[in-house]
Amino acid sequence: MIQILTGIRNTSAALDAEQVRLDVISQNIANAQTSKDVDGKPYQRKVVVFDTALQNAMSGTDANGNLPAIQVAKVERDNRPPVLQYDPGNPDADAHGFISMPNINIHEEMADLISASRTYEANLAVVKNARSMAMQTLSIGKS
Amino acid sequence: MSPLSAIPAYASGLTSQIERLPASTETISPTTLPSAQPIDSSSFSSLLGKLVSDVNAQQQTSNQSVSALQGGANVPLHQAVISMEEANVSFQLLVEVRNKLLESYQEIMKMSI
Repeated sequence: MIQILTGIRNTSAALDAEQVRLDVISQNIANAQTSKDVDGKPYQRKVVVFDTALQNAMSGTDANGNLPAIQVAKVERDNRPPVLQYDPGNPDADAHGFISMPNINIHEEMADLISASRTYEANLAVVKNARSMAMQTLSIGKS
Repeated sequence: MSPLSAIPAYASGLTSQIERLPASTETISPTTLPSAQPIDSSSFSSLLGKLVSDVNAQQQTSNQSVSALQGGANVPLHQAVISMEEANVSFQLLVEVRNKLLESYQEIMKMSI
């Protein structure tokens, strides 16, 4: 298969990874008020951890000579303690009227969202640039 | 039936016509011309045919990913768009190659003998 836009495989992998990050951030924001997760505890913030794709990282390049690509290694829980709020009317409140809310700071999530969307944008710019470079190269023969 | 499948036959017809030209010039003045190497007539047309089938495969891949996206499959949007762009650029390459081929053919046809 001809490889016209080389380097786009890595960019595509990076876009995939950023997509997962955006999904996790959206999950965090959506669950900012969830006091009872599936395990009965308040929802815990989730963090995406990236690494380079394993089979590429071992040899530097993969079978096709592509440079290492990024991939999502794992989605981990943020182990900061839940936030205690005084809300005696809530059915989930303890004997002292306190309720454990998720350890999510909405401002932190918004900052993460900006970072993820900017990274996504940067990778899109790479795609755009690779495409315009290829088209400019193809126009060498035109008078 | 793919729209590009007729191009290899067309291109191999063109190349066979171009490749016939050295033989006819050799009969005019066989002493002055260096002895022409036997041309592997299959090589260039097969190369071109491979290019055409590659471009066709890329178009089909992009079609598949776009229709999978529209069908609600779990295909990321950027992947579909990138495969469309790849197909587009490789089709442009094919068009450029075809233009060059026709240009050189016409250049040879215009040659005064």
